[in-house]
Amino acid sequence: MIRLGLSLLALLLALAVFGPWLTGVSASAQDLERVLMPPGLGEWLGTDNLGRSVVTRLAYAIRLSTGLALLSVLSAAVPGTALGLLAAWRGGWVERLLVMLADAVLALPGLLLVLILLAFAPGAIWPFYVGLALVLWVEYFRVVRAQARTLLASPQVEAAALMGFGWPYILRCHLLPELLPILLTLMTLGVATAVVALSTAGYIGVGLRPPTAELGLMISEAFPYVFEAPWLIIAPVATLLLLIAGLACIAEALRRAR
Amino acid sequence: MAALAIHDLSVRWQGESLVDALSLTLEPGRALTILGESGSGKSLIAQAIMGILPAQLQAGGDIRVGGHSSRIQDGAARRALWGSKLALLPQEPWSALDPTMRVGWQLAETYHQVGQVPRGQAGGRARETLQALGLPHSHDAWPHTLSGGMGQRVVFALSTAGGAPLMLADEPTKGLDLPLRDDMVMRLQAVLHKGGSVLTITHDVSVAQALGGDVIVLLDGKVVERGRAEKVLQEPSADYTRQLLAAMPEHWPARKPPACAGAPLLRLRGVAKQYGGNQLFAGADLDIGAAERLSLWGPSGSGKSTFGDIALGIRRPDAGSVRRREDIGPFGLQKLYQNPLMSFAPRRTLRQSMQDLIRRHALPAAELQEFMQRLRLGQGLLERLPHEVSGGELQRLALARVLLLKPALIFADEPTSRLDLISQRNTLELLIDTAESSGAALLLVTHDPHIARALGGRQLRFPWRETQAAEEGVRGPIDRG
Repeated sequence: MIRLGLSLLALLLALAVFGPWLTGVSASAQDLERVLMPPGLGEWLGTDNLGRSVVTRLAYAIRLSTGLALLSVLSAAVPGTALGLLAAWRGGWVERLLVMLADAVLALPGLLLVLILLAFAPGAIWPFYVGLALVLWVEYFRVVRAQARTLLASPQVEAAALMGFGWPYILRCHLLPELLPILLTLMTLGVATAVVALSTAGYIGVGLRPPTAELGLMISEAFPYVFEAPWLIIAPVATLLLLIAGLACIAEALRRAR
Repeated sequence: MAALAIHDLSVRWQGESLVDALSLTLEPGRALTILGESGSGKSLIAQAIMGILPAQLQAGGDIRVGGHSSRIQDGAARRALWGSKLALLPQEPWSALDPTMRVGWQLAETYHQVGQVPRGQAGGRARETLQALGLPHSHDAWPHTLSGGMGQRVVFALSTAGGAPLMLADEPTKGLDLPLRDDMVMRLQAVLHKGGSVLTITHDVSVAQALGGDVIVLLDGKVVERGRAEKVLQEPSADYTRQLLAAMPEHWPARKPPACAGAPLLRLRGVAKQYGGNQLFAGADLDIGAAERLSLWGPSGSGKSTFGDIALGIRRPDAGSVRRREDIGPFGLQKLYQNPLMSFAPRRTLRQSMQDLIRRHALPAAELQEFMQRLRLGQGLLERLPHEVSGGELQRLALARVLLLKPALIFADEPTSRLDLISQRNTLELLIDTAESSGAALLLVTHDPHIARALGGRQLRFPWRETQAAEEGVRGPIDRG
């Protein structure tokens, strides 16, 4: 399962990295004499209504989605984990305050926060990044806090403290090795969530603006040509599907290995 | 006709023999006990009889339960007999109750479904049974409100509700403290008195003694000795049986109390602790002398471990004080845990864990080797992860780890309760010897009064009573030796 997931991701990332270099055109280069060309030898996945290369646009869209998703997941995982550890370690009012904050964030639907921020800066990319990070940290916080509380009360930590080990050692040798597999699973699923959120916004027209190459936007732009040029819709949908499937496979394999 | 007959039972895994050609017969109204330590294959025998052997094992042989014959590998044939011909007694019985059903209803349901009692009469039967068990008020109780002993009695009633003449008890006393164990044995004896037959599979020699009948001693899947219980347990002919009997705590020679002098290591004054609304102890005064041996014994949940944790400073008392002698360093009080596996970092090799400790305190590295030799531990063990080492070895490694710190006192919290008899005896003897030779005091928690006696020091009984101090000479400074 891990092999399937990794090969899917490797395939898509190879397309993202080398695609534009192979086709040799930019994502926004129009060629009005070659519109709605079907997939073939010259254009592997055909061209769209403005004669732009679909392969090239997909490559840029994957770069955008995965880059943004990775960034927002990292910015959620690091503070989420740190706060979860802090809450479990300190307890008392620190923990109560953080749990209250997390519950408050949890009450908001994730996409709503992104949409509110987008209202301030239509078409910009930062609302996605900030919005996703602000929503996703709660998951890390909750999971890490629950696990760390059990671990901190366990004999292994009690014994380590009794033998004179300080908190950096306990963190490094007792807590993190136990938490890491769980965190990796969460992060993989988090990347998938972020990718879907970005393309959902693009698809319903509140996300990035044309002519940016973005998966959701590409799907909605292809609607008028669904009968003449079905490949225009199939290509971004399939890419999105494979990307999420690959991530889900990896997350599942990590979960089972735990 | 025999209640149970097994002919040539064998279990193999990847060509390796786990149970080797076992045959036995059990007559109605008699008891048969299969006695063995962990790894002897006794649980596989229980699973084979019940018909729940894991599919990847190859099994062979014939079995007859009541009048029903089947091949060993045909598990479904025996599963059909559950309840009506073959009663199964689950381990840790109280946890086998359905937590979402009231006690009386569970019993009535079982009488109806398994015992074929008409639905209209099942409720009455359940009430009668509870009355007979001395639990008339528990009919509408939820399982979690029952004590361990009450739950045990209810589960016993449940597993016999189908009227099966043969009862199979797999490790019926595992994890039970003394009063619960005695109650369990009494229940099994009652089955025998009523003419039922009981097959018990256990590591606990005292259960075999109490039930009588026949005994089969098992080692590595092979029968070492078999015969009448009185004969096998009084005059064993096999070496292994002799070792097993000698390892029972009631047969250990009591040690001489160690000589101790000088100022006490720890002074506890007026210590009190509550847990879950339960006053575990209050006003407890105790002095622990240098190199002293002290046992805390009593049933589970009576506050023994909590008392030790308070003495060590891991937990705070609700009231009272714990004073250490001035020369005891911050790491001078150390602890051994009931489950050593939980006390090591699970993803670090034992060598890494040991080296971390040596580096932390700048200890001479050669000492570890010395301690490991003294505790009869091979150096190769250090390359493994904690879960790749047997329980007895890991507890000795934990002891070696603790000894590196030259503790003034070792608090051992039921350090051998999860070990087999023979390895329990070896481990405890090594613990006592090394504590003595390194001049450390030993505070041992146990639920077994025989171990407390064999330790040969003062005994503190739990639940803590104000009066015991005066009775047993616990209160006051230590002026012996």
